[in-house]
Amino acid sequence: MHGRHEARLTLTLGHLYPDQLNLYGDRGNILTLKRRCELRGIELRIVGLGIGDALAPDEYDMLFIGGGQDKEQAPVAQDLFETKGIGLWAAIEDDMPVLAVCGGYQLLAHYYRPAEGPDMKGLGVFDAWTIHPGRRAPRCIGDVVIRWNGMTVVGFENHGGRTYLGTARPLGRVLKGYGNNAEDGTEGAVYRNAYGTYLHGSLLPKNPHFADHLIGLALQRKYGLRRLTELTMPPGEIMNGSTPAQLAPVDDPATLLRPLDDHLEWQAHAAILERLGLYEEATAALQRTVAA
Amino acid sequence: MQQHRPSQVISQGPKQGESRGSRWLRTRKSRPEVKPGSVTGAARAGQRSQRRRLSLRAALAVIGGRAAGALSRRLRLGGGTSIVGLVAQRLYPDIIRHLAAQLEHGCVLITGTNGKTTTSGFLAAILRDAGLRVWRNREGANLLRGVAGALVVRALPNGNLRRAGQAISVFEIDEAVMPQAVRLLQPRAVVFVNLFRDQLDRYGEVESIATLWRQMVKELPETTTLVLNADDPATASLGELARGPVLYFGLEDLTLDLSSQNGQGTPGAYQAVDSRSCVRCGSDYQYSARFYSHMGHYQCPHCGLVRPAPSVRALHVRQDTFDRLRVTVETPLHEGEIVIPLPGLYNVYNALAAITAAQALGISWAPIVSGIEQFKPAFGRGERVQVAGRTLRLLLAKNPTGFNEVLRTLFSEEVPRHVLFVLNDHIADGRDVSWIWDVDFERAKGLVASLTVAGTRAFDLALRLKYAGFAPEEMTIIPSIPLRALQAITGPQPRGRKGRGRIKDQPRQRQAAAAATSAMTTSATEEHTLAPRAAGPSLPGYGLATALDQAIEQTPVGETLFIVPTYTGLLEIHRELERRGLTPHFWEGRD
Repeated sequence: MHGRHEARLTLTLGHLYPDQLNLYGDRGNILTLKRRCELRGIELRIVGLGIGDALAPDEYDMLFIGGGQDKEQAPVAQDLFETKGIGLWAAIEDDMPVLAVCGGYQLLAHYYRPAEGPDMKGLGVFDAWTIHPGRRAPRCIGDVVIRWNGMTVVGFENHGGRTYLGTARPLGRVLKGYGNNAEDGTEGAVYRNAYGTYLHGSLLPKNPHFADHLIGLALQRKYGLRRLTELTMPPGEIMNGSTPAQLAPVDDPATLLRPLDDHLEWQAHAAILERLGLYEEATAALQRTVAA
Repeated sequence: MQQHRPSQVISQGPKQGESRGSRWLRTRKSRPEVKPGSVTGAARAGQRSQRRRLSLRAALAVIGGRAAGALSRRLRLGGGTSIVGLVAQRLYPDIIRHLAAQLEHGCVLITGTNGKTTTSGFLAAILRDAGLRVWRNREGANLLRGVAGALVVRALPNGNLRRAGQAISVFEIDEAVMPQAVRLLQPRAVVFVNLFRDQLDRYGEVESIATLWRQMVKELPETTTLVLNADDPATASLGELARGPVLYFGLEDLTLDLSSQNGQGTPGAYQAVDSRSCVRCGSDYQYSARFYSHMGHYQCPHCGLVRPAPSVRALHVRQDTFDRLRVTVETPLHEGEIVIPLPGLYNVYNALAAITAAQALGISWAPIVSGIEQFKPAFGRGERVQVAGRTLRLLLAKNPTGFNEVLRTLFSEEVPRHVLFVLNDHIADGRDVSWIWDVDFERAKGLVASLTVAGTRAFDLALRLKYAGFAPEEMTIIPSIPLRALQAITGPQPRGRKGRGRIKDQPRQRQAAAAATSAMTTSATEEHTLAPRAAGPSLPGYGLATALDQAIEQTPVGETLFIVPTYTGLLEIHRELERRGLTPHFWEGRD
């Protein structure tokens, strides 16, 4: 596949702890990123980063970290703090897109206080912290919908811990479901291009706009807008037919990408919205495919 | 290294035919009965009145429970045995202990994530062939109320069991209620088939079940035999904690090692592994052979924990036909070939578990062989139903490992199959369906002759299949309820079928009509050009009945349609087939 297309776009995704944090179908997020890149001729290399592996920020364009059981989360927390912390901080400060789901999200905040046992120290990327209110408290389980960037994002949440935001900006407002803590209507956290969320199910397959947002961010960061257009061969193949003249910075870098056939994705998205009684939002979601 | 303690029972080896009433099957423990003369008169009178009170309460519970069951059946609210148990337990919380104590041969409990029903089915068949009267709880009714129900429906209005002589109970028990079940039932043997990830949202996580089991095993009396899967580190490790005898079963056929099979199947196929770190020290296990998920020959490189040597071993497994496995089984007393009339490697484990349990009970070899070979699969475990010249096969798949094994069974021969998947997310299935992303659907790519996707989460599964490489146009997606937004945009979907006898060409006519309409109005308004699009998947209606019809229609006469549902999907299929007069009422006991 290489050779002739020298200008082929390549991204490298660092998948943190693929063997330990993989409880909630996290593989779906990886498959989605890979496929959506491939359909646009972008090569997505995936590198697993296990316990003991260093994280060299220059080698990656995107990072993903999933969720796991408490038993498996403790050694991961230690490794994240001791081995990967500096690299991860550098990457995030350098605007690398990072998606952290469930346990991964908790580990990027200040700390996780489990129902029993000592606190797990997090990286403090998000000014937020998580407290498990005890074994007797019900888990936050169910379908969840948030509003992000004026659009809906759907998923499934399943967490015992309650996350409280300090100065961190939430990813979105909860329309249905529990969100961070079932109290304040916030869901997830954002710092620069790092996104923490409780939404899985998996998150990205049913939210192609969010997946494209991450891919767009990574491309924009790696290649820059102008170079990205120059590299695109043939023109419009990857990007949304934009010309260099139009290349003002965009709010949602997903709009840089060529739209794909996402009928099924949006139908699955709309089906969740309808189950929760959000019929207008469901129609809006389906109309997005029609418009594309 | 863990050593299993060979139980006395096995080393004695009762001869064939001796099992009926042999001393190995003697009354497990005496009833709570007072021997005359052994106590003073006053105490005796007190105990007698106490006993009478308890019998009265038991009688009340039996009558109340059965009345509730009859009412529930009359009102068609459901199967009935759970409501029987629920009411009986309300009226007399100790009803299970009271009735179970009367079973002449006691009871055996079977638990684990996958294979409870099949394993207890195998064991029941073996025990029946050994001349015992076997009582079971209805499949899926594996909470305490289901156990109570199973006992109460066999009790007399005086609070005693009917025909308890020669009776033994085989109960399948939900993983999470094992501690209570063990306390109430005082089983002779407990069988742990395996522990996988299942229904996370119901039980939290795999580790919490393992913790629950470890605590429970420590409290088991010395009289209870533990039957454990040597190849599953999470269940095998329970053996260290047991006070009573422990028997292990396991697979020894190294040709089944996944790493030696890369020629067949998907190379480097994704495996959902749910238990990877050592129970003792937390390091990752190393495998010299892995059969599926975390089942195999493992050891911990750090603390030296190794797989215990099983006493009941499958030396060779050979597939005769799709659903006949020829297995060479070796036990301390016998070695012989057994034909398992079911597909899938997981059923070898189920059979081994039943064989080991039977040996723990002192059953001889002949009923073991005949019980397994004559076994009739329970509904949804490979059962066959004939419909309109097609054969339907039902293969329950309720979690990643179970699903992977069903897919391996279906597609390892590289023969294209007609498939109907039903994915539901009711409480009994687990509300969280994210596990479908851990299922290796990629192995089915290019091997599906027709594909219908149904259930409350049909779209999620269709999307998963799309990412596994199936084109949306290859799939017929039939969700449980219509997608209203789609109707708003592209016009109404065909209705779900209510009655019997559907006109086959109807949807096609409708589609043709819709296409014609849109063709005529294409130039008129812009909205219409957006209407039916070739790119979208085919959505010819909704509801399971429609899905079943579509899937059957896509299967040519004489061929087989494989239906792979989650748990409630299976119940729905069952109800639908029953409505069409194809299966017996599911609440009628099979025993």
